[in-house]
Amino acid sequence: MMDDLEGELGLVEDLEDDNDSSDNTSSRGGKKSRFPPVNLMCVETSKETGFHQSTRFCLEHIREAMLHHRWQEAAEYMACYPQMFEDTTVSSTKHYKEVIWRLSTEILHHHHNTKMEDYNHIYERIKHSGVKHYLMISLEHSFHLLLHGHIEDAKRHLLAAESWRYGKESAAQYQKMKLIQAYRSLLDYIIWCDKKFTLSDFNDPVGNQEMQNYYRQASVNLKEILKNPGVWDPFILSYVEMLEFYEDHSEALNVLNDYAYDNNFPPNPNAHVFLYQYLKRHDAPEKKLIKVLKVLHVSVPSHELMLEYSSLLLQSEKNSHIHKAVEVVLEMLDFACWRSDLDVWKCLKAVIQKLQLQEDWRKVVLEKMEVRKDWWPVLHFTSHHARKDSEENPELMEVKASLKEVLCPDITLKYAAAGVNS
Amino acid sequence: MEHQFPPQLFPSFYNSGPPESVLRHCAGDWGCYDRVRAECGSARASNWTFTPRHQVRGETWRHTEPLPVPLLRPRKTFLWPSKPPDPLDFREHMQNFFMDHSQDAFGYMGEILSENFNFKEGTRERNQKNSVNMGKMKNVLDMLEFQMCHKSNWSSKLNGFGALLSDVVHSVPPELLGSLLYEELTEQRERMLFFEGATGGALAFIPFSEGGSSQHGCLLYPGNKGLNRLNFHNVELQHCRGRSSVLTTGGSDPIRFHLKGPIRQISSASLFNNCCVAVRSDHLCGVWRFGEGNDPRLLQVVNTAEVATCVSASPHVLGEVLVASESGAANLWTVGKGMQKVREEDSNLYFNAKSSWRWCEFSAHPRVMLYADRTGVELTDIRSSPVSCHTLFHISNTSECRSGERLILSRYLGDVHSFHHLITTQYSAYVMDERFPCVPMLKWDHMMESPPLFCHVLPGSASSGSVVGGDRTTKVVLGSYSSQEITMLQYSGGRVEACFSRGPPLALHRPRESLRHLPVQIPHRLDTATNRLSSPAAGLTCVQKKGGEECLCVVQLTEAGDIFYQILEPDHPDADTSRPPAAETLPGRKDAETPERKPAEHLAQDSQLVVTDTTSDEDVIGPTQVVPRYVAETPEREQTSDSEDSETEAKSRWRKRLELQVIVNDDPEPDHVAELDRGETDGAEAGKEPGGAEETLRSSSSSGRVVPPEQATDVKPSKDVLVTWKHWLQRLRKKSRGKRPRLHFTTRTDGLLQLPGGDARVSSEDERVQSLRRDLRACMSNRSLLLHSAVSASLRAPDSVPLPDVVDTGAWTDELSQRLTLSWQSEDAWRAWWEDKLGLNKEEKVKALRRKRRREKEAKRASGQRRELSGSFTSSVSYQDLGGYSDSAGWSSAASQGGWSDSEGLMPLSVRGTPGATTPSTVTCETPVPTPTTTPVKGKQGDQQTPSTSCTQRPEATSANRRSSKRPAEDDLFTPQVRNFNFLGEEGGVRSPRRTPRVDLSRDDFVWSGFSQSLSQGSQGRPGLSQSSQASQKKKKSRMGF
Repeated sequence: MMDDLEGELGLVEDLEDDNDSSDNTSSRGGKKSRFPPVNLMCVETSKETGFHQSTRFCLEHIREAMLHHRWQEAAEYMACYPQMFEDTTVSSTKHYKEVIWRLSTEILHHHHNTKMEDYNHIYERIKHSGVKHYLMISLEHSFHLLLHGHIEDAKRHLLAAESWRYGKESAAQYQKMKLIQAYRSLLDYIIWCDKKFTLSDFNDPVGNQEMQNYYRQASVNLKEILKNPGVWDPFILSYVEMLEFYEDHSEALNVLNDYAYDNNFPPNPNAHVFLYQYLKRHDAPEKKLIKVLKVLHVSVPSHELMLEYSSLLLQSEKNSHIHKAVEVVLEMLDFACWRSDLDVWKCLKAVIQKLQLQEDWRKVVLEKMEVRKDWWPVLHFTSHHARKDSEENPELMEVKASLKEVLCPDITLKYAAAGVNS
Repeated sequence: MEHQFPPQLFPSFYNSGPPESVLRHCAGDWGCYDRVRAECGSARASNWTFTPRHQVRGETWRHTEPLPVPLLRPRKTFLWPSKPPDPLDFREHMQNFFMDHSQDAFGYMGEILSENFNFKEGTRERNQKNSVNMGKMKNVLDMLEFQMCHKSNWSSKLNGFGALLSDVVHSVPPELLGSLLYEELTEQRERMLFFEGATGGALAFIPFSEGGSSQHGCLLYPGNKGLNRLNFHNVELQHCRGRSSVLTTGGSDPIRFHLKGPIRQISSASLFNNCCVAVRSDHLCGVWRFGEGNDPRLLQVVNTAEVATCVSASPHVLGEVLVASESGAANLWTVGKGMQKVREEDSNLYFNAKSSWRWCEFSAHPRVMLYADRTGVELTDIRSSPVSCHTLFHISNTSECRSGERLILSRYLGDVHSFHHLITTQYSAYVMDERFPCVPMLKWDHMMESPPLFCHVLPGSASSGSVVGGDRTTKVVLGSYSSQEITMLQYSGGRVEACFSRGPPLALHRPRESLRHLPVQIPHRLDTATNRLSSPAAGLTCVQKKGGEECLCVVQLTEAGDIFYQILEPDHPDADTSRPPAAETLPGRKDAETPERKPAEHLAQDSQLVVTDTTSDEDVIGPTQVVPRYVAETPEREQTSDSEDSETEAKSRWRKRLELQVIVNDDPEPDHVAELDRGETDGAEAGKEPGGAEETLRSSSSSGRVVPPEQATDVKPSKDVLVTWKHWLQRLRKKSRGKRPRLHFTTRTDGLLQLPGGDARVSSEDERVQSLRRDLRACMSNRSLLLHSAVSASLRAPDSVPLPDVVDTGAWTDELSQRLTLSWQSEDAWRAWWEDKLGLNKEEKVKALRRKRRREKEAKRASGQRRELSGSFTSSVSYQDLGGYSDSAGWSSAASQGGWSDSEGLMPLSVRGTPGATTPSTVTCETPVPTPTTTPVKGKQGDQQTPSTSCTQRPEATSANRRSSKRPAEDDLFTPQVRNFNFLGEEGGVRSPRRTPRVDLSRDDFVWSGFSQSLSQGSQGRPGLSQSSQASQKKKKSRMGF
């Protein structure tokens, strides 16, 4: 009966979503948006029997106790809750199983005398009580083992889950399966790393072979999951490290390029960073590095690599590159986190000094400062800033004071004056 | 490090497309780690550490008190109803309608009637006789300008007009009224559940410099009845471990600004001890400038054409404020320079969410702002002229949103992390990094019942090295509107490592639940307090004290204008190790229960404070059960005696006596009351024993610190808190008493419809009534009845209007007369007459006759069996008596049998030995009978009346009994008159006079002798009455008289 209600709600929502983009006319018609109820399980239903009611109350009490972190009380209630399994009228107990698993694990997390066996018991029981959440709970179980240092056990559980098959997979199950495989490979990689570290002599054929095996096991799944759009930072790092070890540079570069430039992937700044770091490690030409950083600059102008970007631009000696460098550093200083960073201000000073060698430097600066002229003074050069800088970082104060004339030539700023006065 | 992006994020799939998942359970993300990230330890390769995205443990924060504490005294307020409006409360809806849509309600009729009303002063001669001069009406209406109850300015003229026009003027087109009413009711209902105007919250705290054990600051909150007064109030958070922490106003008065509308949101930003406060009400936004040393100064106010939905002060440049309104426009308002429209959207961003709510916030870049609606958030770069936008967040599968999820609130977390934004929906809270849009850095299920509208984020103070376990968590405190929930979430990371949540959500106390921790209230006061305390939340802020002893004070504003705070302290593991928790708690709580045994020691100052508090307010009534019981019953008296000194002594004596009572009555929480009582008596005894305060201190310290979370429920509120609450409730009661509705006002209508010259008539009528009353009084003093003869002549004269003679329809024998007579009776009778006349019902008559015969035959046959039955029936009674009776009656044996079994129904059934039926019959009859015996002859009518009442009672009382034994009686007695009785049913009285009275009387004797000796003299008459006939009554009376 719960399913019906939810299904209905979901259906209504879907319909709404579908015709949403098409008609904009009615968007202002209804002013208030309604929100579906939050706790469907705690809502009284019409067909409720006394048994349902008591289990519902029990669940509410558990919830309340847990939300207030009264774990002992929750545990006492929890002892009674599984009786709802005796319910024969509910068509699917799937959600209840998940609820029981979640509640009991969380209570175990916080109960003062919890043993590992209790966890294993809960995980195993719920895992095998239904097919729908087998994968999720397997994954969580192995996480739990990992966090408690049982890497081997975790790997065993992941392997078991990997070989689990049950009928048709849903999309969510497919993704869970991929994750399980990837995590298993990550554990292979970890063992590989350990082997690499302990293996003193790389000419030892047995040890090499073993490492090779782990590499092969890991690489299959890691390569596989990188094909799916997503955030795969840990996986790609380990994969690239192994590829680098076995000197498969083209594959590594390929993977990193895909990760950074594939439009299906989310705009992960780390993707560009990984690529940049890889290129830098392998002494790629400056041009390539600048290209990578240029892309990064567009998406994340505040990234710390922008300092390297500006120095790279300066090295290239091209006029346009120097202009670009000014822009990059100025833009960094727009952001709150860089405003009192000495390195950036020093970098700006260096860039400006380099720029001043050119004839039309005033024009360039003016052009860059045009969009900033009404808020930069307030952002950087007030008397308050001066007081703060002089107290906390006199060197910064010096650099800034020297630059204020260049950047804001037409405006009288209280920066230095106030700083001296105070 | 601020600028660093986490080098490794948790793995996740990136699923585009609308969300599909549906919420199936209420367990949120309890018990799951979500994802795990591996890190290679630097020292040894095999030293791998794993970090889950949902870490099991966070910091443990504990409440110092089990309930929130009111900060300010309660003020008069307008309370929204706590229940949704009742669609059937027509009067209220009509009132709203007439107030809000007066043009619709009165416009048409006004136009139509305008000819007939003359609104000009003194131009009577011009227009006419037909028009009513409205000069007087105008005066009356002018008088109604008073704020008082409209009806109290009573005017006969106005009421007269009201009566005249009521049926015409109120004719509002029902379609119009219906739609308006529907709209209104829906809006009220939805406003109750979720009021989006309150988003952001109208409460802010601006911290000043920090003292050793206290944190000063300014609390900004709306005051006044309509929440239209902006208060800047200096407050201080005093906290010292081992002592009770408290948030005080220090007795200072707030600086106030009156606004033209209710304050919905207060947004503030501070830079270098200068603060810019932006305030939003529905159509006005204002900006104040404010600093620690400077008084607040209003800089500028703007009007918005559409309802403003958001105001947000810039953390980068003071004096820049973003304003969004329901028109879909977002404006950058540079105070003193004017507005610049930065973005306008007609529709929702990603899909049609049918909402015109808009929100905007600043971001890490001073010229990039967030533009949000219910479907998502976009980053808008306002430097380029067609603004460039890109998605930061939208309701989609990527962020594992659920179907139906909507964005509720977005908040720039500039203080915590310059690139982070908090986004809440009704299910979850997300931390977004604007450098990596679309993918949430962190997601929680906040598990709140109603969507979170308010939030406050407390940066984890990485600087404080008090805790060894790395940097402190960032705390996100979310508050919801209607359910007043507050939930605290904790997370870490975002710079060197990816964000991960710490511990499960923690629900904080709600004001509406505080009453259960307080001594029990009497019901109607409980109602007032409950209503007040459960008014929806209107704002949330936190005061954090970092230096020295860390503590956290969560302040919540309700729509009633009350502010409640709760203080949380970190639970230091090292503090616990020095003193094992279990060992510490138990004695601590034992102290609270048996405080007398504690030796009195130190802290005279505090105890003095408590004592003076209690004594000074002794004459006011506390939340204990002590005095309320007394006051509630005689409120007026209490009020008057308050002022009179002479009565106070008596009152205190009263109270002393009542205190004893209390302890008896007080089941639920004897501890509290005993404590409080003790406190009061201590106070009365001039505070010679400071034990009370000392105990307070102990209980507060023990509750605050040492109780492990499992036992947090058992924590009792400390005495200071109880006293604060007591005073608060007292004041609330005083306020609400003033607010009580006046006496019911009745409009007098007696003069309105009077005829000219009716005054004389009225006076004569009055006179007659007076004289009648006099007569009645005289009769009553004489214990006689008021009879017609006793009534004075003045009354009789006008009464003797000759009635026309009773029409004897039998005198008319002609058909026409018969027909007409019958037609007066009913249409059926008339028709029956016609059918009879025309012979239409001949066959039916024949059939009916046959039926009747058949029935009679059957009855005769059945009576044969019945006789035996009834014989066995009566065998239980002494048959000799019966025999004697039936003989003397001279009836045939069959008839006597019948008479017996018949009267069995009438008689008190004690005869048949069913005691259940006996009791009522004696009871009903006992009372009326003595009357005739005591006042035997005086007034014949009176005499007759009394038995006749019993006459009617009797059959009713026995009818049920008779019904059970009806069948045998009916079958038995087929003589016509008895049948008649059966048809008549209850009217048993008709039948009995046909018997000889002697029978009844002998029956009397029989019953009496056979029944009991315990019957009194009065009850002797009972059986006689049970015969229920006036004739027998008379007979019997004569007997009794003898």
